[in-house]
Amino acid sequence: MNPLTYIPQLFSSGITIGAIYALVALGFVTISRASQIINFAQGEFVMLGGVITFFLLKVVNLPYPLAALVAIMIVILIGFMMHLSVIYPLRKASILILLMATLGASIFLSSTSGLIFGTLPKALPSFSGEQPLQIGEISVLPQSVWVLVSTFILLIFLYLLSHRTLLGKAMEASSTDPLGADLLGISRSLMVFLAFGVSAGVGAFAGILITPIFFTSYSSGTLLGLKGFVAAVLGGWGKNSGAILGGFVLGMVESLSLAFIPSGYKDAVAFIILLLILYFRPKGILGSPFIDSRRW
Amino acid sequence: MKRIPFLIVSILILMIWVSPAYVTEKSSYKIGVNLEFTGPWAEVTKTVRNAMVLEVERINKTGGIDGHPLELLFEDNGFDLGRAAANMTKFTKDKEIIAVVGPFEDNLQATTRSIAEREKITNIIICPSNPMVRALKQKWAFNIAQSDIIVSQKLVDLSLARKYKKALVFHAAHPLAQSLAEYYKKFGEEKGMKVIVSKETHKPTDIDMTPQLIKLKPVIEKEKIDAFYACTAGPPGPIVCKNLKTLGIKIPILGTHAFGFGFIIALGGEAMEGVEFGAGKPVVPDQLDENDPVRPVILDFSKRFMERYGVEIDQIAGHAHDTISLIYEALKQCQRKVTRAAFRDALENTKGLKNCHGIYNYSPTDHDGLSKKDMVFIRIEGGKFKRMKFPGFE
Repeated sequence: MNPLTYIPQLFSSGITIGAIYALVALGFVTISRASQIINFAQGEFVMLGGVITFFLLKVVNLPYPLAALVAIMIVILIGFMMHLSVIYPLRKASILILLMATLGASIFLSSTSGLIFGTLPKALPSFSGEQPLQIGEISVLPQSVWVLVSTFILLIFLYLLSHRTLLGKAMEASSTDPLGADLLGISRSLMVFLAFGVSAGVGAFAGILITPIFFTSYSSGTLLGLKGFVAAVLGGWGKNSGAILGGFVLGMVESLSLAFIPSGYKDAVAFIILLLILYFRPKGILGSPFIDSRRW
Repeated sequence: MKRIPFLIVSILILMIWVSPAYVTEKSSYKIGVNLEFTGPWAEVTKTVRNAMVLEVERINKTGGIDGHPLELLFEDNGFDLGRAAANMTKFTKDKEIIAVVGPFEDNLQATTRSIAEREKITNIIICPSNPMVRALKQKWAFNIAQSDIIVSQKLVDLSLARKYKKALVFHAAHPLAQSLAEYYKKFGEEKGMKVIVSKETHKPTDIDMTPQLIKLKPVIEKEKIDAFYACTAGPPGPIVCKNLKTLGIKIPILGTHAFGFGFIIALGGEAMEGVEFGAGKPVVPDQLDENDPVRPVILDFSKRFMERYGVEIDQIAGHAHDTISLIYEALKQCQRKVTRAAFRDALENTKGLKNCHGIYNYSPTDHDGLSKKDMVFIRIEGGKFKRMKFPGFE
């Protein structure tokens, strides 16, 4: 069988999952831009977004848009609380210890979610019907279109936030030059606090977008978080544009690789790519403001 | 020195309290339960626990076994091999414990089964176990649920009844699904079907099967496949059905007995319509034949389960009921001389015991209990499980 015949369809399925990786990667980057912390609980924000929306929709019986909005708010609050209870008390500790702390928070969040909302996977209804759209040879779910459009809008929003507002600039300043930011009177802890809120919100948004297509269970955040991290490194650690590019590239490569290798190796592809990137271009595709290439 | 009389009195009181002369009830028969109460199976094991507690309380209310109450000791193994083995060892060291139920997960059972074999204690396994382990024909391990062999035979019957000539099997990459696929191919080809087992597989954690299915789509079209067998369990089942629909592949879908749970329909929604499979009778407690020998057992259990917990029974609750019922009968057969060995022999001699999932017959060569006749054909219709009957195939 000629692999070329199914490449367009693989391509379209790769774009959808790529958009999700991009959103998770964005969450990583938002926090690391403000504080250089790698927040491994990012995947859990995605999971919580889906699971809490499901709870509000099915148990509390809120209308869908309201349930989604409230869920995003709750996850943002969880993000704030995570900063106050985990990151802030450890603000003088080394990055490595903070990394461990976020891993701990990730295990805490997923187990708590399992206890409160149950361990069975959950599916949300699609935003607009389940009938696939036929575009030439390719069939696409309407939800995939939603994912792409929403990701695009969110990207514009985040771009404006980080490049056009004082807040975004202050966040970036506190990351790239902590001493300078301190001297200018920017509260670094406040910036990290806000960054946690933003990345929790982005994560929850991604969770709501994907739960209709890929079911969310209490444990599904971990793998998504790892893939998002790979995407962020792949694109260029610390760059919003890098996270987006990395997400889409990873999604496509994973999907397209199936045309040539057996599907059992699908998850390995992501990590092999990460290794190759770390060997040959450690600062990622677009380059990273945090990694000085001369050192390599 | 003033305290000595006080001490003597308190020791006397304690002695009276623990002295057997004052215990009016007979000592209880203890069964260890070593299950994954936390982790991915938490919800399933909760059902098991509820059903077991319900049955044990009923037995104890009606006088227990010759006046001895039955007692369950629950230990959580937390989905962890080390803890499962530690729990098992702990249970075997407690001489009062007669048998151990669980665990669920394949590799965990493999370990507890070998401990059971070494320590000579009965290990009752609820879920269909790893075929490679089951093939060891262990003396002390008994299985409750339908084996992969009878599930595959039942599905071949369904395929024959539907007159499917060619089937494509898309199986998950774990031992049970692999052996289901292989047995389906073996039994199907014995009956003149053509069964293609796909080289593409999926993992239980995969969230999107579209890429694999895109690769299979040309095969389905070129080979003119009649039925697509989604040989998997848990969330991947509905994911495969949804992805097939998205790709516009219109083909009858066959599933495994693991499709017979309400949450599968809740996840898959419309995409699950028309999926057919063979499953245990508790999936459709109200659609059994009037003369079905196990109908009264299921109806009675489902009524009591509903009253107590407010939910319908499912296959897992049925397995839990059957476990307790088998233990109860075996203890009765022991004729008051209950030892671990006597219990094992009694359990192995169980013949014609009517339970939720069917009629159990254990023998020295068969520790699986159930047969093909104990399953029914199910079709998902209108978001519900509907029983199907085919003349000549049951």
